[in-house]
Amino acid sequence: MALNKSKRKDNQIRIALAGNPNSGKTTMFNELTGSRQHVGNWPGVTVEKKTGRVSYQNFSLEVIDLPGTYSLGAYSEDEIVARDFLTAGDYDVVLNIINSSNLERNLYFTVQLLEMGVDLIAVLNMADEAEKKGIIINKEKLGQMLGTPVVETVASRGRGISNLLEKTVENRDLSETALKIDYDSELEALIGEVVSMLKEFGFTAQISHRWTAVKLIEHDPEAVKLVEREVGVSKAKKIKSLIAERELKAEDDFDNIIIDKKYEFINKVIEECVQRPEEGQEPENVSDKIDAVITNKYLGIPIFMAVMWGIFKFTFTVGDPLIGYIEAFFAAAGTWIGGLLTGAGVSPLITSFITDGIIGGVGSVLVFIPNIFLLFLAIGVLEDSGYMSRAAYVMDKVMSKLGLHGKSFIPMIVGFGCNVPGVMATRTLDSKRDRIISILINPLMSCSARLPVYVIFAGALFPNHASTVVFSLYALGIIMAVVMAGIFNKVLFKGERSHFVMELPPYRFPTLKGVFIHMWEKVGAFIKKAGTIIFSVVVLIWVLANLPLGVDYASAESLIGQFGQLAAPIFEPLGFGSWQAASSLIFGILAKEVVVGTLGVVYAAGEGGLRAALQTNFSPLAAYSFLTMVLLYTPCIATLGAVKSETQSWKWTIFTASYLFVLAWIVSFIIYQGGKLLGIGV
Amino acid sequence: MIPLAMLRPGETACIKKIVGGRTAKGKLTNLGFVTGKKVKIYKSSDGPLIVGLGDNRIVIGHGMAHKVMVDTEGCEN
Repeated sequence: MALNKSKRKDNQIRIALAGNPNSGKTTMFNELTGSRQHVGNWPGVTVEKKTGRVSYQNFSLEVIDLPGTYSLGAYSEDEIVARDFLTAGDYDVVLNIINSSNLERNLYFTVQLLEMGVDLIAVLNMADEAEKKGIIINKEKLGQMLGTPVVETVASRGRGISNLLEKTVENRDLSETALKIDYDSELEALIGEVVSMLKEFGFTAQISHRWTAVKLIEHDPEAVKLVEREVGVSKAKKIKSLIAERELKAEDDFDNIIIDKKYEFINKVIEECVQRPEEGQEPENVSDKIDAVITNKYLGIPIFMAVMWGIFKFTFTVGDPLIGYIEAFFAAAGTWIGGLLTGAGVSPLITSFITDGIIGGVGSVLVFIPNIFLLFLAIGVLEDSGYMSRAAYVMDKVMSKLGLHGKSFIPMIVGFGCNVPGVMATRTLDSKRDRIISILINPLMSCSARLPVYVIFAGALFPNHASTVVFSLYALGIIMAVVMAGIFNKVLFKGERSHFVMELPPYRFPTLKGVFIHMWEKVGAFIKKAGTIIFSVVVLIWVLANLPLGVDYASAESLIGQFGQLAAPIFEPLGFGSWQAASSLIFGILAKEVVVGTLGVVYAAGEGGLRAALQTNFSPLAAYSFLTMVLLYTPCIATLGAVKSETQSWKWTIFTASYLFVLAWIVSFIIYQGGKLLGIGV
Repeated sequence: MIPLAMLRPGETACIKKIVGGRTAKGKLTNLGFVTGKKVKIYKSSDGPLIVGLGDNRIVIGHGMAHKVMVDTEGCEN
């Protein structure tokens, strides 16, 4: 197939990686492309698209990582993305990454690719795991039966990669004929009729007519849409009624027959190509033993809590000393450059712009690289080790009380890193109701951008209890998320529980390379954000702090002071009615880290000086109330953007922005006024 | 035939039929719930079930586990 190739130079090859989740596809992608990766989105949807490059011999290979999917059945957005890419045919060859130790289920996807006519190389990955299980695969035979080249690899150890590249280059002009599975006389007759109707109606799409016919018989909504587009609704209806008519007469559902026949073929392949140890002779399953403890009825939740606490401790105990160094670096850089500029006779205005504005503002954010680095490291390990899906199982008990199921917990954990991928991760949930509720509560998961604000306040005002204060904020976020999910479940949506099935992948040691690439990606994004959005906002704030011309820098009379004064009365009952606090919250909506940057500017201080400024301007109680506000109030623009694109609705976006502000105000009010009544921390 | 949801931990059965709509059926098939396959229950309490399909371990909610019809006699016909 692959008829739609766009023009490329002779030495350029475009390959796509396709395969099941947990087949080692991402590891393979990392192994092939190393750090030369680009992360973007597939056009029109928020599904992440990863591309990368690798050179081999004289060829330049462009590698596209398709979303991990179990089938091409269009049951989720990911599957539709993968399928659209494959039907469009703009690639040279597909590497179908197969988990060798789980051949049967992986082949279900392979068979679907082959039926579609995709030119692929079957990559038997995780060959070491298969070996450990005593599974022996006859590669030659498998290649014959599937009609494809077969390569064996262990991506996690880099084994077989150069052989794979060699085979890829060799097979760059592969042109396989589509696999034809015999669906029995009754169904074959219908397929034949549908194919001739498609021809008659002038169906010209590049995809195989037979494949389209089978998909129509399966009532695949995407295929129906495609045919309606191509031949018109009324002619498509004729085909549909023919199928419906036959289905009424048939003994079994057509889709059951189609599935059974596919599996019949797979079983034949397995029987002829795979040797397994006798039942009872298999080596013991280590994952089952670990799971007996991890998913235990009584131990599951305490273990989960301990893991979360461990991650938290790790992030801070290891990160904090490092923060000190970076802080010292920026302070020294500020003084040194300031002195240099003054010495060179540069105007005080420009000197202030560079030292207070840029170094003070951006520096106060960059200081937190170590924490963010470590947090994403921990989340990466959780994801890659297989613990994440266990956490989802364990938390199902709690989540189901809120009308959600355990899978909804995964986006929440991701949200601790950043709410944008957190909101995007809700895509794995299938009911619309689950998705909306999960999106609405995701911003309550305290993301890494809020961390700088907590750390600086906790350090300044709660020096002896800093980590307890920060942890309490994380916990408060989770509690509010649970409360809000419960409320939304009762008030906004009723009934309708969704389909909960999820794989528990075997536990694996995360590969260093995989975790580091994951982490670099996120830290890189953070640095980029600091260099672009945060930098621009800091410049904007500095400008506002200097206007109108002639005012004292960052004084109450400057524009920023006036903004702050306008908003300050709203925050007065919460204990922080100063214009400085108000303006930092306003600008914090652009990016939460900016709260620190703004405070740095308006208190006209670098990192060390800010601490002192906070101590004189906030009581501990007011500071805690302020942090609660920062935790809960309107999420940053980027998160709201993700909410908009995931819900496809302004209504939900505006609702998210406003309900969170109201919630934050109420909770801060209770904390501040309650604390004042009790006389705590005033 | 009884629904998978009725089995107790340690029991094995043979999948006989998947009932339910297109999406539910599709998701179950994706994860390997197919007629003629052996399934073993690892955990079943008030929460979702953990079942084994070959070497795979799958978490399945009660609702979905009612859509998988099994025969406790096993797969030998």
